[in-house]
Amino acid sequence: MDNPVIIVLIVLGVLLFFVLIWFISTMNMLRRKEVKVNEAESGIDVALTKRFDTLSKMVDTVKGYTKHEAKTFENVVKWRKGMPDDLTMEQKQEFMQKLNAVQADINVAVEQYPDLKAEKVFTNLQRSIADVEEHLQASRRLYNANVSALNAKIVSFPTSIVAGKIGMAKKIFFEAELSKRADVKMDF
Amino acid sequence: MENNLSTYQAKKSRGEKIALFSILAIIAGVLLLVFSSPDLALEPFGLALLGIGFIGFLIGAVFYSAAVNKFKKEYLKEYFSSIIEQGEYYPKKGLAPNQVYQCGFLKRADRFKSFDYLSGIIDGVHFESSDCHLQEKRVRYTTVNGKRRRKVEYITYFKGRVFAFDFNKSIDHQLQVLEKFRPEDGQRYEKVDLESIDFNKKFNTYTTDPHTAFYVLTPHFMESLMSIEKNHPGRIGFSFMGPKMHFAINDGKGFFQVMPFRKIDERLVETFKEDIDKVYTLVDDLKLNKNIFKEEK
Repeated sequence: MDNPVIIVLIVLGVLLFFVLIWFISTMNMLRRKEVKVNEAESGIDVALTKRFDTLSKMVDTVKGYTKHEAKTFENVVKWRKGMPDDLTMEQKQEFMQKLNAVQADINVAVEQYPDLKAEKVFTNLQRSIADVEEHLQASRRLYNANVSALNAKIVSFPTSIVAGKIGMAKKIFFEAELSKRADVKMDF
Repeated sequence: MENNLSTYQAKKSRGEKIALFSILAIIAGVLLLVFSSPDLALEPFGLALLGIGFIGFLIGAVFYSAAVNKFKKEYLKEYFSSIIEQGEYYPKKGLAPNQVYQCGFLKRADRFKSFDYLSGIIDGVHFESSDCHLQEKRVRYTTVNGKRRRKVEYITYFKGRVFAFDFNKSIDHQLQVLEKFRPEDGQRYEKVDLESIDFNKKFNTYTTDPHTAFYVLTPHFMESLMSIEKNHPGRIGFSFMGPKMHFAINDGKGFFQVMPFRKIDERLVETFKEDIDKVYTLVDDLKLNKNIFKEEK
């Protein structure tokens, strides 16, 4: 034990051990946060799909009144299959913008045909879409809160070292209003 | 109505006067017993004053409490039913223990008292409420002259009012927004931080599903909760479960309290009206009356 080399080795070994423990626990913490982000993202998918379904029902109801104006909703018809599974976050935002446009069209139709407002099925659908909107907003905020927490860790030193080693990059936020992105192509 | 109020005031005042004179008699009796000279032999007189004082005090208290009860049972009951849709008021009744514990952040009490029950519909929102006094039993052991003695104490941990409102969103999971309370219903809660730093400083948010927290606590709703907190000194807590929202305020006070030597008059009734207005504000602030999310049956 008198040999200083052995002492230095032991100290280095202990230090290495603690660094390893820290690395593993930091990695696990980042992974847990990433899982939360993924869970929140699937929440967005659910909310978007629900919104799509409800809007489709609304479109069907509105079309009964506006047979000669069916063109207005043409862009919805091509989404009959619903939301594709493997969309990126940017594409999901684009999808949401398209749903917004459809909803705006429906609102215009409602203004033109006041009888629609009196129809119970339609008013229930309007309530339902309001609730779906709230769920979508909740999913978006939860996702962004989780992304914010994860990104804050990823950019902080020394956690950034671990994030870099395991190839974890900053996630993008789900914006309420998407700025136009010319390079995103949507084919449903 | 004014005549009614003066009748109740007259009866209450009679009880207060009897109690006041009785206290004076007790004080006089005590003074005679302690300070009178033995030569004067005034002890029997002092004892008589004490006895009369105690009996008089009891009679005064009975008169006082009968007058207050009559005022609440007759006048306030009628008054609340006139200003609140389907308003029902029972001074001696309160929310049932299970209704109170449903909020999830008040632990089961060893002594449970609830009274001043009020229910009705405000802006289309049904509510129930009552004052609640919850105490827990604490046992202390002391040693006096070598003997171990057991002392039982009841400590108040909640004294205030509990409300149960119909909520305009249907919640499948549990959510609690608490100011210095904590969940007490044995569920596995996760603490969630919302976007507002001020909100997170003021309240702890516990939920069994984070999505539910973000669904209920919209930015506007969080602002409303903050403003309610500002207007209600004391600890407050909100919980959301199924179709109900519970609100509890632990401020050591209650609604509709008639204090000794405070006149029963229009001004007192006005303060009760202000308490009801607070409920209106609560419904309005939280937009509980905006039922845009539930389908019509």
